[in-house]
Amino acid sequence: MSTLTLQQRLEILADSAKYDVSCSSSGSNRKGVAGGVGSTKSGGICHTWTADGRCISLLKILLTNTCLYDCAYCMNRRSNSIPRTALTPEEVVRLTMDFYRRNYIEGLFLSTGVVRSADHTMEQLIRVARKLRLEERFNGYIHLKVVPGADRLLVEEAGRYADRVSVNIELPTRESLQLLAPDKPRDALIGPMRQLSSLILTSKEERKRSRKAPQFAPGGQSTQLIVGATPESDRQIISLSEGLYQRLGLKRVYYSAFVPVSSDNRLPALPAPPLLREHRLYQADWLLRFYGFSAHELLDDMHPNLDMRLDPKTDWAMRHIGQFPVEVNRADYELLLRVPGIGVRSAQRIVRARRNARLSEEELKRLGVVMKRARYFITACGRYLGGISLDGPELFSRLTAPARRKASLDQLELFPADSDVSAVTGEL
Amino acid sequence: MLQYRYDSTFEGFLCAVAHCLAEGEEPELFLRGSEEPAYQLLFDEVTVDIPTDLQAALEFRQSFVEAASRQVFASARYAFHSQQTGVELLLWRYFKLGLRVGQRLVHMLADSDVNAVDRISRSVAHQAHKYLGFVRFREVEQGFLYARIEPQYDILCFIAPHFATRVGDRPWVIHDLSRSQAAVYDLKKWRLVRDVELSGTPDFTAAEQECALLWRRYFDRLAIEARRNLRLQRQHVPMHSRRHMVEFTDL
Repeated sequence: MSTLTLQQRLEILADSAKYDVSCSSSGSNRKGVAGGVGSTKSGGICHTWTADGRCISLLKILLTNTCLYDCAYCMNRRSNSIPRTALTPEEVVRLTMDFYRRNYIEGLFLSTGVVRSADHTMEQLIRVARKLRLEERFNGYIHLKVVPGADRLLVEEAGRYADRVSVNIELPTRESLQLLAPDKPRDALIGPMRQLSSLILTSKEERKRSRKAPQFAPGGQSTQLIVGATPESDRQIISLSEGLYQRLGLKRVYYSAFVPVSSDNRLPALPAPPLLREHRLYQADWLLRFYGFSAHELLDDMHPNLDMRLDPKTDWAMRHIGQFPVEVNRADYELLLRVPGIGVRSAQRIVRARRNARLSEEELKRLGVVMKRARYFITACGRYLGGISLDGPELFSRLTAPARRKASLDQLELFPADSDVSAVTGEL
Repeated sequence: MLQYRYDSTFEGFLCAVAHCLAEGEEPELFLRGSEEPAYQLLFDEVTVDIPTDLQAALEFRQSFVEAASRQVFASARYAFHSQQTGVELLLWRYFKLGLRVGQRLVHMLADSDVNAVDRISRSVAHQAHKYLGFVRFREVEQGFLYARIEPQYDILCFIAPHFATRVGDRPWVIHDLSRSQAAVYDLKKWRLVRDVELSGTPDFTAAEQECALLWRRYFDRLAIEARRNLRLQRQHVPMHSRRHMVEFTDL
């Protein structure tokens, strides 16, 4: 191990860290201190994008890729023959500071393989965070992975230094976990998530009473689910996410299209990662968090999986065509949000603009409504813009016919000028 | 035919607006600095030179914010820094409308002028936000951090305050090559310096080369081959913004 240069070890550990999809540096807003290093912005900042189109916001790195566990889906599983190496806490601190000062990154996202014991591993992660905060007086973003099974006191300490904490569930059901990650029973994952959730909540309450109360992970907690490695339906996944948002107050659930990293016979052989499915799940996730939909509206026994041909909102609207068209000059904000082609931003702007003017087709275009989809579901000043009969079969063919952009390109943009940018982009 | 020449700063433009309002004049053209009109006019034109008076600019700002709102003033400021041709006349109409309708201006998105200002300002704000991430500081032998940018819009004044609180323990310079101006931070505060010319090529420190190389390698390794999508990458990091980003340059 000692024969490898820093650069080689950095490369190996980057390889080992890259399948964790969380990248955001959001949810925490902290001004810099005069003469110090670091600040955080609640909307997060992306610094660059890799050749796969994913953003880099944080230095995402493992302390070590040596691991006790043998989870079939994981590149760092014990039985995989990959080079193993580690960085010292001092090296991670130096890299973070050097990269941060040059504005490559928003901060550090530190994870690790499990060595010796959960407690020992957690202590190593905390050591890095403590050094950054106390010795370097680093004020930027820190995302720490919480090691399942670590002592409650250690989990508490982690949240004092970190902006965000996360435990990855990875597989949506107990059975799948049992099959692919026998070392990690579901309860060992949900347990720390519950603890984190209550610590975050308590700290928020206390800070309402006193600004001096210590912060605990002000950026909240997130988790990740692998999609396509096990046979769960989208309904199971989205219902799980809904539960995590509602009951544990998670900030984000990330979905990661399964990239085969081994030829384990417990895993499906996929020709390519299911990127479109991942994209549809993110769309459904957005509908849960920002559009007032609930999981059972999007998916049920009859439709356990998301339609790959249509986005989930259009799909929902097609199944509830009786509620359309709606009049844009009168419909409630909540109803506008349910119109395909009208997003959070355009719904807000419609509500603002119609106080002063009657909105017809031209104004709607100007406001940024995607008329290509929306025209079939709205009337403007009483005029229906779709030009077809809503109950006929033509609607479906019209909505699916045109050459659509590749699904993976459909990312939302950031507009910091808007006050509630986080609600629009979901960068939370 | 009345045209107004101001010093190309936002403050100068506000002074020109305030002047026109005070004199009850209707401008037909605003000229930036030594700029000449793009076309010859049929009639004799009168050029009024507007001196920049910070106090007058602040007073106009105050009166507009009180009449309309802070938010719409901010939109105007962002839109101005797009430096698009004709943006001054658009903003002139916007300011006049705002003074007339007051608080309602913020909601008048269906109006074509208000919508245009809103659209341009969001585009500028969007680029300013992107550059919070795109700026790449490099350590030079002269003992400070030096970054080069060539943004489409004049966003330096929007991003400099962010870096002043973030990288507060080192002096730094962000150099906008396309406008020959720089934001200079001296450990206490930042200021904008115009007409900056580089007397030579900056010498990077040895540590700088090492650090840039580490970042470059890390960046390359972080992409997942099975998800390769250069088009998506190009959407997020347009080619023109990559020129000064170390992960996209040969080291």
